[in-house]
Amino acid sequence: MKRISLGKAARTSLAAFTLAASVALPAYADADKLTVVVTDEPKSLDPCDTDLSGNSRILRNNVTESLVNLSPADGSVTAGLATSWRQIDDLTWEFKLRGGVRFHDGKPFDANAVAAALKRAQDPALACEVGLATLKGVKFTPEVVDRKTVLIRTDIVEPILPNKMAALDIGSPDTPANGKTRTPIGTGPYRLDAWAPGQSIKLTAFDEYWGDRPPIKDATIIWRTESAVRAAMVETGEAQIAYEIAPQDGTSKNDHAFPNAETALLRIDQEVAPLNDKRVREALNLAIDRDGLIGTIFHPQAQKAMQVVLPSVLGYNPDIPVWPYSPEKARALLDTARADGVPVDKEIVLYGRIGIYPNSSESLEAIQAMLTDAGFNVRLEMLETSPWLKKLLKPWDKDRQPSILQTQIDNTEGDAVFTLPNRFTSDGNTSSIADPNLDRLIADASKATGEERKRLFQEAFKYIAVDAVNIVPLFHMVTIARVASDVNYTPDVQAGNEIKLKSIFYR
Amino acid sequence: MTLMYFLRRAAFAALALVALMTSAFFLVRLTGDPVDLYLPVDASDAAREAMRVRLGLDRPLLAQFVDWAGDLLRLDFGMSLWHNRPARDVVLEALPNTLALGAIALTLAFLMAIVFGSIAAVQAGGWIDRGVNVLSQAAASVPDFWLGLMGVLLFAVTFRILPTSGFGGPSYWVLPVACLFARPFGTLVQIVRGSMIEALNASFVRTARAKGAQSGRVVFIHALRNALLPAVTVTGDLAAQFAGGGGVVEVVFGFPGIGKLLIDGILKRDFAIVQASIFAVAVVIFVINILVDMLYAAIDPRVRVE
Repeated sequence: MKRISLGKAARTSLAAFTLAASVALPAYADADKLTVVVTDEPKSLDPCDTDLSGNSRILRNNVTESLVNLSPADGSVTAGLATSWRQIDDLTWEFKLRGGVRFHDGKPFDANAVAAALKRAQDPALACEVGLATLKGVKFTPEVVDRKTVLIRTDIVEPILPNKMAALDIGSPDTPANGKTRTPIGTGPYRLDAWAPGQSIKLTAFDEYWGDRPPIKDATIIWRTESAVRAAMVETGEAQIAYEIAPQDGTSKNDHAFPNAETALLRIDQEVAPLNDKRVREALNLAIDRDGLIGTIFHPQAQKAMQVVLPSVLGYNPDIPVWPYSPEKARALLDTARADGVPVDKEIVLYGRIGIYPNSSESLEAIQAMLTDAGFNVRLEMLETSPWLKKLLKPWDKDRQPSILQTQIDNTEGDAVFTLPNRFTSDGNTSSIADPNLDRLIADASKATGEERKRLFQEAFKYIAVDAVNIVPLFHMVTIARVASDVNYTPDVQAGNEIKLKSIFYR
Repeated sequence: MTLMYFLRRAAFAALALVALMTSAFFLVRLTGDPVDLYLPVDASDAAREAMRVRLGLDRPLLAQFVDWAGDLLRLDFGMSLWHNRPARDVVLEALPNTLALGAIALTLAFLMAIVFGSIAAVQAGGWIDRGVNVLSQAAASVPDFWLGLMGVLLFAVTFRILPTSGFGGPSYWVLPVACLFARPFGTLVQIVRGSMIEALNASFVRTARAKGAQSGRVVFIHALRNALLPAVTVTGDLAAQFAGGGGVVEVVFGFPGIGKLLIDGILKRDFAIVQASIFAVAVVIFVINILVDMLYAAIDPRVRVE
């Protein structure tokens, strides 16, 4: 009988398996092909839905473009489909449009296309994300002057109209007016090739693009829920870029942490006792050891925050001091408040959202322990997104328990007006503060321009953090992206909303 | 199997389906308002209300139920909020993938369990039996999620012989199938082993041996036929579980099946997707139960289906 050694059998099997797999496995990427893996399938690929980051990551500046862009460095407005813009009077802006631009369906890009896109985005029947969020509260009326000139009129003063136009992705005038589209037609460097639901989206370079041809010809975007799987895909060559790698998976030299424009914080419900006492709210801030959280539960590159926007946002105030860690002082403040009859021993609920960022539950468990050490009676309740939104959004129950809520606020639009009104004024639907002084300050700042605007917003941020103490600011957050070593791509602060495909190439 | 039997089963299944879908309708609505999830946080109250009106969520629950039940009779499950397509189409795309995945995993598990369980039973108490016992218990208890990630690490990242995840040619099926295979394999080995030991000690086997029948024939023809019934019953139950999809496995591997769809539907409060998925899975379970009964009767002629 012929005997085969185990080692030889194993080697033979492995060789056969590898041979079979080499046939079955996808080829490693060609120099002009790129696969990007993200967490979730987009909800919509309609150009008017790009206020949701899952949608804009695929569309923005890949398939569709807007009149202007915002610089990732400082939020300043740069040219896009418009080459210049100016304010004609308080209520009117003029945009001069780029010539020689065509949509993927061959239609020319002109002032009529801008007018159609703006009208469509504001159509209440369509419930466009851009109309419901960025363009909310102002009526924008387009007026076509000539093919290359469009006026945009507003019903109230809109000093940062160009910033808002950066959110308006412009689709072909043939985009259906009576419903959302799943086949967007834009002017971008890529056209949508295919969307296989549940599997992938393929983009192909558009031969008649007005700008430089992108080095990557075919880009595929796929989604995998598991961070470990996303990370592994770059290791195996199945993908070249993977976003949102959990800190525990992001330990290789190919993992790049970048600020993601999000600020993590706890919102204090300051209308309910004992949180209606400022000393108690100060004690909350003093009880948290932020240095102890960085590099342990939060990424080492997260920055301690003192307000809810990053330095790249107009209105950021560099002079607000970061809260020190002083549990003794927190205890003393609670004792003083208790002596004055404030019910500081009442149970406070700390509402968290499962998975709002990596280690979200762990971070709140640590914070709960810190608050308990300082003398607070805190109960932690982790919620799934839908019930958490009920706690975030008004209206709230009048007889509710005192609570603090884990949240994070992003601002990629470069101006504080995209953060403050909804979250910190009496009318804001997520605001837990109703203070006429702050309302006035935010309203004045929203109407102002230039240095005055910056100064007033800076004052507003100081008022929230130092005078009112409505929040427990935690960190300016980072996201980890894994990038294959042969790919040239550096994620910036806008990478959460935009995969800048045209700037990516193989080394 | 008589037509009468089939009609009676179908009537019971229809009643169960009505009860299931009714509870699904009300339970899914208890989990929260999709409008908050679907609109930007900055959206105004008016926009939220407009969406509620558009979706009919502002109407009394009973009125919503009546309309929904009418649509259901026409197998119209409504539009998926997330996919912006008819929920029926989305579910019908995902269901075959899950059925194929489950069928492959379960068939392999069943066949291999028969082989391993029978060998262990024949060698009961010996080292092979002990080895099979350890293997099967480990397989029955290992979490899908962990097994999936370990599979990715070992076979995709370290050896590079399989893709990490996705959907495509045969290589994409290996890891998901292996993950789904483990638990039923472990369970079935234990069952086959137990019932085989019992069968091998039964008087009819002793008689067969006494008559000089060959050992292999005794084990695989005489004993196995009798030992199969419990395994078939459990496989039927496992198949019914699989009809709902290996949710965790499908999520880990980005496999576009009904388990992943259902999980996503629940998380995204996509009522139409949740309801359509539950309906599809329930129908499949009904069909599987009928098939198991037929198989049962085929294996053991003493069992009469009526």
